[in-house]
Amino acid sequence: MELRVSIQTAPFDMAHGYASVLDERTDIGAVVSFTGLVRDFNETPDVIGLTLEHYPGMTERTLEAIGREAGERWALNAVTIVHRVGELAPGDPIVRVLVASAHRRDAFLACDFIMDYLKTQAPFWKKERSAQGDYWVKERDSDQQDAGRWS
Amino acid sequence: MPLTHLNARGEAAMVDVGDKPTTQREAVASGRIVMQPATLALLSDGKLPKGDVLATARIAGIQAAKRTHELIPLCHALALTKVTVDFDLNWQESCVEVSALCRLSGQTGVEMEALTAVSVACLTLYDMCKAVDKGMCIETIQLDSKRGGQRGDYRREHAPAVSAENEQSVQGAEVPSVHVKFLAELRERVGDSEFMVPLKQLEQGDIAGVKRALQAQDARFSVLNEKRTLCAINQVMANDAAPVTDGDEVAFFPPVTGG
Repeated sequence: MELRVSIQTAPFDMAHGYASVLDERTDIGAVVSFTGLVRDFNETPDVIGLTLEHYPGMTERTLEAIGREAGERWALNAVTIVHRVGELAPGDPIVRVLVASAHRRDAFLACDFIMDYLKTQAPFWKKERSAQGDYWVKERDSDQQDAGRWS
Repeated sequence: MPLTHLNARGEAAMVDVGDKPTTQREAVASGRIVMQPATLALLSDGKLPKGDVLATARIAGIQAAKRTHELIPLCHALALTKVTVDFDLNWQESCVEVSALCRLSGQTGVEMEALTAVSVACLTLYDMCKAVDKGMCIETIQLDSKRGGQRGDYRREHAPAVSAENEQSVQGAEVPSVHVKFLAELRERVGDSEFMVPLKQLEQGDIAGVKRALQAQDARFSVLNEKRTLCAINQVMANDAAPVTDGDEVAFFPPVTGG
């Protein structure tokens, strides 16, 4: 399985990653992608931006481990995980997961799994800016419950 | 400490593990094989004559772990519960890094199995690539960590870097210490990001001991008491009972909110 992980400040577009995942291969039958975007409402109704902090080193290691675990659970050809850090504005893409497999079910499940584990294990933290001031985003119990579905 | 594989007369002897308690054992070993950049590129593109190199080496490593007792004279035959062999292509240093994890619920350790898996995976990589590169070199096969068993846990300290810059900083840190980091919201609440905690200040050599030593210094470290505060040692999640040693990087942070 080809596994690519990128932590970057640079923006990416909606087509990002397809070419490298497909890589002119003809044994891939399905590609599932997830793109997470910055919302303009979250803990306050008027989010004007956010700053994403991470723990360099552990972040890459964690995302690689999650990608590898997905590859152990399902038959996958390729996994690409891209996550942005730094300053982001509403509407900006923040995370992208691409999963390629021979058959669609493996790719759908693996993509869902990777996002659930990313949200509960990868060391990223969001600080949102709003008209009322800045605040650190609180973790959600629902994310933990979602991740628990896979254990 | 006496060598357990020798009897009173200094002869080789298999250890009777029948009386040892059954515990969860885990060992991680690593090694690497250095090759020409062109060989690494062929391997990455799947264009070597013998086909899918990494998949073959992975199976070889797993099979080898299961047969360690046939190779190493005084090793017990073990019913491993998990074996994984992973590869990282390191383009900067033009090598394939190999790591193996072995797990078992049993009465003896699994470090020989992890080391054997790495060794045989490296040998298989050599065999698969030797048609194009005979100068490849297998290096630094070593135990990285083990958990479980009477002798307790082991984790290899990071080998000192060789650059002059790093040598100075290693000499500068003469007092054995752990390097504590606070991240995100915890950094703001503590007011600083990094602290050195000398090991001799610890009443006990684990994360709980680090927390207590910091709290004895200053009330701002009360954030460490909060149940939601998480911890990692050398960038791997850890709990209060996890042991710390000189040079460890210990990070405290809030629950994660990425994605």
